[in-house]
Amino acid sequence: MSQISRRQAVALLGAMGFGAAAAACAGPGGSTKPGGATGPAAPSTGAVTGKVSFAHWRGEDKAVFDELIKRFTAKHDGVEVAQDISTSNDYNAQALQKLRGGAIGDAFATFRGAQFKNFTEAGIYTDLKDSQAVKNYQKGLLSAGQNGDSQLGLPYQVVFPMPMANLDLFDKAGADTAPKNWDAFLGMCEKLAAAGVIPISWPGGDVGNGGQLFNCMIANNAPVDDMCAQIEQGKLKCTDDWFIRMLNQYKDLKPFVQPNATGTAVEPAQNLFSQGKAAMLATGSYHLAAVRSLGAKFPIDLVFPNTTSDGKGKYEGAYNATFILGVNSASKNQAAAAAWIDFLSEPENAGYYANQTAQHVSVDKVEYTNPDLKRLSPWLQKKTALAARFQFNNLDVRNAVEASATAVISGTSPEQAAAAAQKIVDERL
Amino acid sequence: MSIHPGTAAKRKAPDSHTPANPAKVRRRSPTRVNPALYLFPLPAVAVIAFFLVMPTLQAFQYAITDWNGFSAAFNYVGLDNFIRAFTKDSLFTNALTNNLKFVLLVVIAQTAFSLVLALLLTKNSRGSILLRALFFFPTILSSVSVAFIWKFIYDPNFGLANTVLRTVGVDGGAYLGNDAQALYWVAVTQVWFHSGQMMVVYIAGLQAIPKELYEAAEMDGANKWQQFKSITWPFVAPATSIVVAYTTVQSFKAFDLILGIAGNPPKAALDILSTRIYSTFANSEFGYAAAQSIIFMAMIALVTWLQRRLLRLTPKGD
Repeated sequence: MSQISRRQAVALLGAMGFGAAAAACAGPGGSTKPGGATGPAAPSTGAVTGKVSFAHWRGEDKAVFDELIKRFTAKHDGVEVAQDISTSNDYNAQALQKLRGGAIGDAFATFRGAQFKNFTEAGIYTDLKDSQAVKNYQKGLLSAGQNGDSQLGLPYQVVFPMPMANLDLFDKAGADTAPKNWDAFLGMCEKLAAAGVIPISWPGGDVGNGGQLFNCMIANNAPVDDMCAQIEQGKLKCTDDWFIRMLNQYKDLKPFVQPNATGTAVEPAQNLFSQGKAAMLATGSYHLAAVRSLGAKFPIDLVFPNTTSDGKGKYEGAYNATFILGVNSASKNQAAAAAWIDFLSEPENAGYYANQTAQHVSVDKVEYTNPDLKRLSPWLQKKTALAARFQFNNLDVRNAVEASATAVISGTSPEQAAAAAQKIVDERL
Repeated sequence: MSIHPGTAAKRKAPDSHTPANPAKVRRRSPTRVNPALYLFPLPAVAVIAFFLVMPTLQAFQYAITDWNGFSAAFNYVGLDNFIRAFTKDSLFTNALTNNLKFVLLVVIAQTAFSLVLALLLTKNSRGSILLRALFFFPTILSSVSVAFIWKFIYDPNFGLANTVLRTVGVDGGAYLGNDAQALYWVAVTQVWFHSGQMMVVYIAGLQAIPKELYEAAEMDGANKWQQFKSITWPFVAPATSIVVAYTTVQSFKAFDLILGIAGNPPKAALDILSTRIYSTFANSEFGYAAAQSIIFMAMIALVTWLQRRLLRLTPKGD
């Protein structure tokens, strides 16, 4: 082998450096954009075989999905499904970048709201409007996965982001689980407090879970249904009367939440409820399985904090359609990924998922055998508002607006808290 | 192109000891190395270029765009992102203020605490060695574990802190839920987490001080404080330099501890620069997040440099 000269070595190193600099200067938008140029297409068809990566954030459902995977692979020879699970916060932050390459997440789930919007803009979804799966869903619950004429995702879960109630404690205190207006709701809390329990366990130290109560509080207070979108667009303001009225109602709740509520994480809040120390857990039905696993034996129902003064509110509750299932447009195995989504959407399998995880699903003709789901099923028929907080596309705006409620519970005046939130909103208009 | 007259003169009239062709001299040099050896750094250079230089250069490029992180389209916005960070984004300035406050608190407390521990445990007695291991132990834990341990300690309902305080009739409050105090409680956690590690650095410095100096000082009648001031402190200055610089950088980047203890995204009272950048990135503002990262990088460099100058831990010109 001939020797290289020092000059050649230096030239080589220089060329590498130049190459690195040149590569670094490649335009940021020059990367691939799967499916974006021509609009979403249906998933490709073919043999249901090979490996399917299923990306989602519900680690607590892993065992249930494992069982469903077992059933799916028994039905289709030569197919494998592996779950790629991140925590919900990490999934929210990183899933888009991870899924773009197609190596992870042939099939995947997304949150409603900002994540669904970003995935749509990035062209990650295929169009499922002609799929076998979509026919199995209740039509009225599909809107969270639609974009124009396309059905990009299938909202799989229906959850109620409303306080869960320990019915034994309510009976003991003689409190009504269906207060007709705000005064009645406060009266109910007083009865519970008089019975020696904490009326509301609220995880004010956890931004995501603490914010769920906001869905109920804003539903009947706001002048329009897309109030959060309008706040973000500057059409409505946190300093408006209706918003201040809502913050004043949060102030009314202060005596009824546990002491130091703004420092309480979600697990201790669940424990207060599970141990019978608190009569309500102000998160939502998605914590049913968690509180049962913590030892809660009492019957559970939901309570809607009715914020109206005359009981003539537009809504009787709040719900969210989320865990939006999709097939990755960058996937090399779309046929198998689509088959997996079809399989999950079959009433029998959706029913298994629902009953095992104690969560309602959007799939039609599902038989709920789980006693908690059976008890909460009437809420599926009530006039409930689609959870408003997921209308926010800017997470800084969402956090600032919701933080105004936390600030009020910690002692800040509603006017000050509203002004602080509006400042953040204004900076992002 | 003009040539400086002096330069030209030098070229025309080389020193009598300078050979006519320097290249020939290099070839004749007894210290000449095989040119193939220049290829040995190639793997390292390639790794650094790919994983460090390239992303850093890219960050500068992204910082002047409004790229959202996934679209093919973007616009060049000049210095708008930098201007926005300082003039139109109170969340960023809040995170910057929090971060500087956090760094200041942790640097002072951790440096002082680790030095005191080191002074108490310098001797190689069995008890000291056991205690050193005990104090060092938190260092080997992962940040996330530490975050969850302290999250439980600070829980106002079931946490250790309030449980202990309630036995003497005191309610410690909401801890992390109190916006005015939250940052201080996280600083306590950070100091607990890393003091043992810094203590080891100090012990190494203290054990290198010649004992004769203390003997001579004692013979001259110097008390313990005078010995510390005139012997210990000057001699552990290099160790202090390491401790302060390391603690500064570490505190600036307390990302995992904050996210673990405060959740994602952390509330404004616990938002620091690294978590703010992460939130901006998660909010699909990639270009703006890149600009924030560059400000962050400059901030760490500036603060570290200022510290070294102000504390006179390095001589001028180094």
